[in-house]
Amino acid sequence: MKIDPEKCISCLECIDYCPMKCILEGEEATYMDQDECVECGVCLRAAVCPTEAIYMPEEAFQYPRSIRREFSDPAVQYPTLKQGGRGTEEMKTNDVTGRYRRGEYGMALEFGRPGTGTRISEIEKVLKVLLKMDVEVEKSNPVFLLLKDEATGEMKPEVLNEKVLSAILEFKITENQLEDAVNTLRPVLAEVDTVVSWGLATRFASDGTLPVRSRLAQIGLPARPNAKINMGMGRPIVEA
Amino acid sequence: MSHSLHRNGTEENLQNDYTFYARASRWVNREGCGPKLRKILEIILSEKPVNFGSSQAGKNAKAGLDPAEYAKTLDKAYGVACCFSDKKSIKSALVKLKEADTGISIVTGGLIDEIVAIAEEIGIKPHTAFLSLGIHGKKALLPEAQVLEMTTMCGHGLVSFKLSKAVIKKVQSGEMSPEEGATLLAQPCPCGIFNSDRCEALLQQCQKKE
Repeated sequence: MKIDPEKCISCLECIDYCPMKCILEGEEATYMDQDECVECGVCLRAAVCPTEAIYMPEEAFQYPRSIRREFSDPAVQYPTLKQGGRGTEEMKTNDVTGRYRRGEYGMALEFGRPGTGTRISEIEKVLKVLLKMDVEVEKSNPVFLLLKDEATGEMKPEVLNEKVLSAILEFKITENQLEDAVNTLRPVLAEVDTVVSWGLATRFASDGTLPVRSRLAQIGLPARPNAKINMGMGRPIVEA
Repeated sequence: MSHSLHRNGTEENLQNDYTFYARASRWVNREGCGPKLRKILEIILSEKPVNFGSSQAGKNAKAGLDPAEYAKTLDKAYGVACCFSDKKSIKSALVKLKEADTGISIVTGGLIDEIVAIAEEIGIKPHTAFLSLGIHGKKALLPEAQVLEMTTMCGHGLVSFKLSKAVIKKVQSGEMSPEEGATLLAQPCPCGIFNSDRCEALLQQCQKKE
């Protein structure tokens, strides 16, 4: 996003809306730090500028900067995936896709969430480790559109410094791999220069319980008391 | 996108906060799902959600999204999102959805034990849970808990820490009421899963702390 210095009256009405704190007060006018801006569009949609000085510049649509909008503005759809958000259905439709079955756990590492944003380089650090682990990495995720080398997790050099509001790495493990996966990833996540929200998708057991909750507590990674639950109302349902 | 997961808060202040998302799958039942999504929208609106919206519509109810306008967008969409503030409403919506049997996947967010109990009461079997294992990495970048409890109600991260802090300050100084503050903070989240009732309650607590 940019602010037209000819129109800006430095009223600062927009300044608090920016999730990346990149709207700055200048001598003549308010301006956006282009390196920090993730092109999420919040400042524009807020419609608080009395002179309509905020605008989406042409360069926001040009690669590689264009990936900022794709990963930051939920209204923008990934051209190849035909869906927005962060480009993945994860467990939302698991009752009809059967993506995660009993005996498996889906894991999602969401970089830059909550509210800090992330450089693509931080995702690369963890992806390189993930690809060395014996796990099934989800390749229909839009992060994979940014890869130079699918075998190593090396990203295209031009995207490494691009900043996005958040992006997700998804992978699948067997029930038996839980402790190993957690122990491998914890030290890696501790070193990244952003925050990561960690999620785990699991089928309910046939008796309606979630046995993984006690396992997670035992390994010192307890689940929060609140979660997202697929209610099993999709049809045709995948029961396995 | 795990947008309604990772809502920060205490077990106490997460009570009466239920997110709802109906989602057609790209691989299974998205083709021609518009009429089914409209039926789902009709059902949830009958139960008076606190907020509703979608990225496709570009705004939420608190930002003035008209239900009829929302319904028109559903031929080009694949989901319907909203949130509720009481157990009775979400339970009643789920009962009606069970009867409607649209075949579209339904995801409800909230306290696990409460959601599981609701499912049992109405005779449905929850299929999959998405658990939150907390925040990792450089946590020094994060603001205080009271700010996160508000901003994480928009899973896409569109409600800024700075705006939340500014609203807290205005509420504490009496420049803004908790209700006005909650309505303002709900604006940037087009999906409509930002629960302004819960936010208002959180802002009232901030007022008391002052």
